[in-house]
Amino acid sequence: MIDAIQLLYVIGILGSAILAGWQLAPYITRVYSRAPGRLDRVLNPVENRVYRLLGVDSQGGMGWKEYFFAALAVNIVQMVIGFLILTNQDILPLNPQHFSGLSWDLALNTAISIATNTNLQHYSGEYALSYFSQMTAIQFLQFTSAATGICVAVAFVRGLTSGTKDMGNFYVDFVRTITRILIPLCLVASVVLVWLGIPQTVSGYVNAGTVEGLVNGASQVIRIGPVASLVSIMQLGTNGGGYYGANSANPFQNPNPATDIFEIFLMLLLPTTLCFVYGEVLGKKRETRPILFGAYILFAIDLVIAFIPNTALGPGIETRFGGFFSAFWTVVTTAVTTGSVNSSLGGEHPLAILAAFMGMLIQSTPGGKGVGLMYMVMYVVITVFIVGLMSGRTPEYLGMKINSRDVKLVMVAFLIHPLIILVPTILAYASGAVAAIGVPTTTSGFTEVFYEFTSAAANNGSDFLGAQANSVFFNVATAVVMFLGRYAPIGVLMALSGSMMGRKRSTEVGLRTDSMIFTLVLVASILIVVVLTFFPFLALGPIASYFQGA
Amino acid sequence: METTTSGKKAKRALRPIIGLGLLSLLVCGLFFPLFITGLAQVLFPYQANGELVHLKGEVVGSNLIAQNFTLPIFFQPRNESQSASGLDPDITVQMADAQIGRISNATGIPASSLQQVVNENVDVEGRLVELQYVNVLTLNIQLINEYQSVYSAYG
Repeated sequence: MIDAIQLLYVIGILGSAILAGWQLAPYITRVYSRAPGRLDRVLNPVENRVYRLLGVDSQGGMGWKEYFFAALAVNIVQMVIGFLILTNQDILPLNPQHFSGLSWDLALNTAISIATNTNLQHYSGEYALSYFSQMTAIQFLQFTSAATGICVAVAFVRGLTSGTKDMGNFYVDFVRTITRILIPLCLVASVVLVWLGIPQTVSGYVNAGTVEGLVNGASQVIRIGPVASLVSIMQLGTNGGGYYGANSANPFQNPNPATDIFEIFLMLLLPTTLCFVYGEVLGKKRETRPILFGAYILFAIDLVIAFIPNTALGPGIETRFGGFFSAFWTVVTTAVTTGSVNSSLGGEHPLAILAAFMGMLIQSTPGGKGVGLMYMVMYVVITVFIVGLMSGRTPEYLGMKINSRDVKLVMVAFLIHPLIILVPTILAYASGAVAAIGVPTTTSGFTEVFYEFTSAAANNGSDFLGAQANSVFFNVATAVVMFLGRYAPIGVLMALSGSMMGRKRSTEVGLRTDSMIFTLVLVASILIVVVLTFFPFLALGPIASYFQGA
Repeated sequence: METTTSGKKAKRALRPIIGLGLLSLLVCGLFFPLFITGLAQVLFPYQANGELVHLKGEVVGSNLIAQNFTLPIFFQPRNESQSASGLDPDITVQMADAQIGRISNATGIPASSLQQVVNENVDVEGRLVELQYVNVLTLNIQLINEYQSVYSAYG
């Protein structure tokens, strides 16, 4: 278990994320309601020029289909750009280490991985990617996938808000997310990260000697690059794709406890903020309560599970983080589906891995920025339905009757997740693809493969396998899972929201969804439906490892 | 006639999609990281360039990553596969203490003096999070500077 001071760190970090999110939410809400703001004088002329250049009518609203397919189409164009840059990096500029282009399957996997906010990485960046690729394929897609996630969530909430006629304009939302939220936040975060010790250069790796080299001629390569700017968006955008193969365990990406704490804060910031934005956009601030409290109660349960074992410094753990900050990071990174790691997952206790699974299976604790919120509303609708059945009343949410089509859509959205995790996991074993990359048929081997597809489906990106999974089967299979795991639930939930737009609202108070009792029922429902769905697989993996004392 | 109107329609629909794809590439993929690079190089050049360490006018490493120390006269980092990064620059105070006897035997520096070097260099930030560790390169550089006769080949 953890001691009092460590508990204070947990409370302090989570508390500052909640406080900062609460402070930031009104600003973010105004960005999307297009209320006048201080940045208008500088940004309005720029943005208006962009809309003219794109041929976009900035006043035109979109229905859910139009909004969703605009987002999907722009994302696909961005994936194609990323793919072409990765496969052709050998003939593109800023490649001082002369890396060759990636294979088609690895480039496909990487482009989809980053563009879907997953950031599963079957490569080690410092040995495979040029500066140009790190910037124009990785950082670029990390910005756009983060922006897309926030946009679709805001559009989703608009659909639920009474009195709205459309879901907004995707192009306008996207541009404003980049110019008014992500660039300003990442600018501040990048400068702080450099100040705290993270490199930012494009001058090439340093071929240096060592101290003993002064006598015996030994040398080393110091692999630095534009790291800080990438880390800012990878954490703020809950992307998680590292500059280095070892991700945030690499000292250049996370040099000290201060950067570790700051990066944990960055991961939590936007998902937490969006819980508040939900109530603000709805015009019912109290509806933030079940979303925020529900998420943080589940998050706390995961933390307790991970903190049960003794967290000592062992193999796979960095000295400067120790056992506690490694376990803490592992839970946070899966709770907000970032997927960056500051330890080697193989060095983590099975209970920490179990907690990590819970975050990725629930996906809304508080989940990735944007989609985590959408999933939480999905769970709310499921809970409202269950409670309605038990009390024999028509289920209602936000004054709207929940009809059978709503429940069907929600169930489809929920069932996509187990389907795209469990089927490919079994397929990977049945096809011999697991044996082909040398993963043993043991409990821990099963955990690694199950984790790979869970992480892909949850658009998380943390993994055991890393570059070991760079085979055609795993590249293509996880690419398909990541793509479906991203766009299928978003599409279904957008359809749900679209159908609620303009639905009749009753003013009489039915089931109170902003009460603490409802939050507790919500938490219990989530645990029951998720644990029941995945229990057999969890039992074969981390739970079996725990009882074997592995 | 019909094909040209549908062609025009497709063009109108594709323009924002492809345009936004390319524009976001320029702003997020090139402008932002290069702007930050410029800013970092002006504001914090030491950190931005990897916290390089010099001896005898040559770059001999970075404060942030481990390097090979094989001789008994130096503190040695964890084995490469022991950490997650393989580049862990730090060792716990315990691991450092365990090496004092060996270094003292090889160099003739009294164990108490070596103990003092370790104690002086316990990471301040680490202490704040209840971790007692030292940077291996920092220890060795201090040894080279303080005991120039012993480490004359390096200082």
